[in-house]
Amino acid sequence: MHELSLARDLLAAIERNLDRPGLRVVRVNLSVGSASGVASDSLRFAFRALAEGTCANGAELAIATVPARCRCANCGTVFDFGGMIGHCPVCAQLGGELVSGNEMLLQAIEVTDV
Amino acid sequence: MCDTCGCGAPPVRKITVNERLLASNASLAEHNRAHLAERKILAINLMGTPGAGKTALLEAMIAGWRDSRRIRVIEGDQATDRDSARIRAAGATACQVETGLGCHLDAHQIHDALHQLALQHGDLLFIENVGNLVCPALFDLGERLRVVVTSPTEGVDKPLKYPPMFRGAHFVVLNKSDLLPHVPFNLGEWTGYVRAINPHARILETCALDGAGVGELLAAIDGVREAFFAGVSA
Repeated sequence: MHELSLARDLLAAIERNLDRPGLRVVRVNLSVGSASGVASDSLRFAFRALAEGTCANGAELAIATVPARCRCANCGTVFDFGGMIGHCPVCAQLGGELVSGNEMLLQAIEVTDV
Repeated sequence: MCDTCGCGAPPVRKITVNERLLASNASLAEHNRAHLAERKILAINLMGTPGAGKTALLEAMIAGWRDSRRIRVIEGDQATDRDSARIRAAGATACQVETGLGCHLDAHQIHDALHQLALQHGDLLFIENVGNLVCPALFDLGERLRVVVTSPTEGVDKPLKYPPMFRGAHFVVLNKSDLLPHVPFNLGEWTGYVRAINPHARILETCALDGAGVGELLAAIDGVREAFFAGVSA
């Protein structure tokens, strides 16, 4: 449900970053950390609905999921994992201290002239 | 444009942005945090499942601090002002935010609510978020302390099922501790899962109804408050 708030925020960020009027957005490149809890399908659905009638109507939302990184609380190994929680590859301990993986970044907007 | 290969389509140009999502929420949250710090007000984002006992715990804390702290509460619920009525009955000032279709509070709503509450220097401000283990985890409100409340009837594996919520917590409170002997809840297993998600969170047990552990929670919050004020120049 919070994907609706994210999509609203994303659309505002897109409109703010267009460098001149008369552009149509064809593709939006977003990267999200795998531990962020963002549901890509829900975000695409909300974005498509909100973008209707705007410069981003019909734009493709390309979401790259970046593996999260964690420091094992047991043996200190730093490891990457997909999803929201992982096991240490060395000692098999669950979880640890998250180093990265919560990012939600609007990387680029691909545009054409209307 | 040619339908076969797309030749003749207008050229596509890339605008590099590299901007964090929710940047406007984050900047307003920083504004709230600075506003509160200037007034030496500690803000606590109280989150957790619906029915974990967040409001009951607030009532118990208000009673515990009755003679020593001024407490202000922002209550977030999808509908009704029932919780703010409970807080007022317990003796604190409250402001209700009804979120409607919203599943969480955001920094804008808190900014508006701060202007409604007659906050004074040194107040404690509790923000009781919408009961939900998912969405509130993503939205910084400008708080200094994040407290997640859960209870034994919810089962041991909530930390594994809702990692961002438990990962962001400074304190994890297991409320309704009086139920521990009566429900199949393995405290050691639950503690292990909280630690797996968040090795540094302080874990506390309370029972809002009989007051068990509430004194420790008040002391823990006071400790954060003192450490925070020691770092804020007068």
